Amino acid sequence: MPFDVSIVLTGEFGRWMLQGFLLSIELTLITLALAFPLATVVALCRLSPNALLRGAGYAFVEGIRNVPLLVHFLFWYFGAPQLLPEGARNWLYEHDAEAVCAVVALTLYTAAFMAEDVRSGIRSIPAPQLEAARALGFGYLASMRLIVVPQAVRVTVPPLISQTLSLWKNTSIATVIGTAELMYQAQRVETASFRGAETFAATTLAYLVVSILITSIGELYQRRFPVRAT
Amino acid sequence: MTPAKRFVRRLILGLLPLALLPVAAAHADQLDSVRKKGELVCGVLGTDEPNSFVDPKTRTIIGYEVDLCQAIAKRIGVKLTIKQLAVAARIPELQQGRVDLLAAALTHTREREAVIDFSLTTFVTGQRVMVRRDSGITQIAQLAGKKVVTVRGGTQEPNMRRAVPTVEVVTFETAPQALVALQQRKAVGFVNDEVSLLDAYGKLGPAQKDFVVLEQNISTEALALGLRKNEPAFKRIVDDTLRELEKRGEAERLFMQWYGPSSRLKYEKRHFRIETDKLPT
Repeated sequence: MPFDVSIVLTGEFGRWMLQGFLLSIELTLITLALAFPLATVVALCRLSPNALLRGAGYAFVEGIRNVPLLVHFLFWYFGAPQLLPEGARNWLYEHDAEAVCAVVALTLYTAAFMAEDVRSGIRSIPAPQLEAARALGFGYLASMRLIVVPQAVRVTVPPLISQTLSLWKNTSIATVIGTAELMYQAQRVETASFRGAETFAATTLAYLVVSILITSIGELYQRRFPVRAT
Repeated sequence: MTPAKRFVRRLILGLLPLALLPVAAAHADQLDSVRKKGELVCGVLGTDEPNSFVDPKTRTIIGYEVDLCQAIAKRIGVKLTIKQLAVAARIPELQQGRVDLLAAALTHTREREAVIDFSLTTFVTGQRVMVRRDSGITQIAQLAGKKVVTVRGGTQEPNMRRAVPTVEVVTFETAPQALVALQQRKAVGFVNDEVSLLDAYGKLGPAQKDFVVLEQNISTEALALGLRKNEPAFKRIVDDTLRELEKRGEAERLFMQWYGPSSRLKYEKRHFRIETDKLPT
């Protein structure tokens, strides 16, 4: 059989691949939108003067990022929903349970890593900066808004983009819980077409294009907004 | 360099590893190489009682298909090595030469004939659907617009969609995972080969009252051993072994051992003979 990628990219096979690709993108964007605010809250908890909040933030980060992602997926699909009250469980199962559980697993996992990046970004701005701003007559909020946060953002965004790259690739593991993302559809196309090499070449290309796009955005950001020496 | 140029260059560099894709090498006659290796590697599912499954006592994989492999290995005069495969990995593993033979509840289909060869038909079964009793479904057609689960990479999904085009199918790596999804009410039905389905139903125990196996078949499947294409000497010895098993009554005995009245499946008699490698036209 000659190598011919067009077979798996046209007609019905192409439609399956496209559906999978779009769902992978959708999983990435929804997860990103949920994980970043959650990560910020967790990071603030970890920096809080309150020991209880610090403990909770620590438990969240270490409890989640030390467990393999595959385990998270299987737990949030096969395990956790069984613990829900019946009404909520039935509601979940009547909706797209495979996608919802995938978003839950990905959001928690991504947020645990992002929280650490946000925390170290905030910590990278030395405390005397805030003190100096206050001494110059800025109020607390104005010092944060004008002095601390703009510097912290420059430090935090590049690692967050790198977490987004991991997130994009991690969506592929959702195939184990039947989420019809790109990897799931690729396996379906491979089974139906017997074109393993073509299917996975096309899949690789799709992942690679988006991955390198994300990497490029990261590099562009770093060029445009480099970290200022402190 | 502009960002666009850099993006393209990076993409090309990223694609370089693809050049390492294995190129299918022409190899010597398979029967010779099996004899030389001294072992026949047989790919089975291992999660599909009674075709191939883990014996709880000995922790080894046993079953109807394993016994067929054993007979072939004996005939060639080599030892048998069993390798467990996922449903979706069966044909790729065979094509890439990591197993010599597939004995993995493999349906003989015309589409697959384009990429692999099949032995004589070793089993004939239908595919059926098990539904939750409270779904009220009694006919295949009532599955329209409903969600069913099954194993990935087999003929179950395409057959189900052919039978009911609007059905929603979600697939998992193994059949037991799909069954768990049904039990957890994530779907109304579970599709599988009749034998595996009845076995799963049998194992439900008291929970059987919550499930019904629909009478109607969604398809009839001829299961056969899978062989690499264009290996006439190897295919001949496999088919001869099977023909011999049939002639000596050994095929009947194996069927009764794994499927007969004393087994969990309780088939009264065998409705097929091991005699042809052609699909009915």
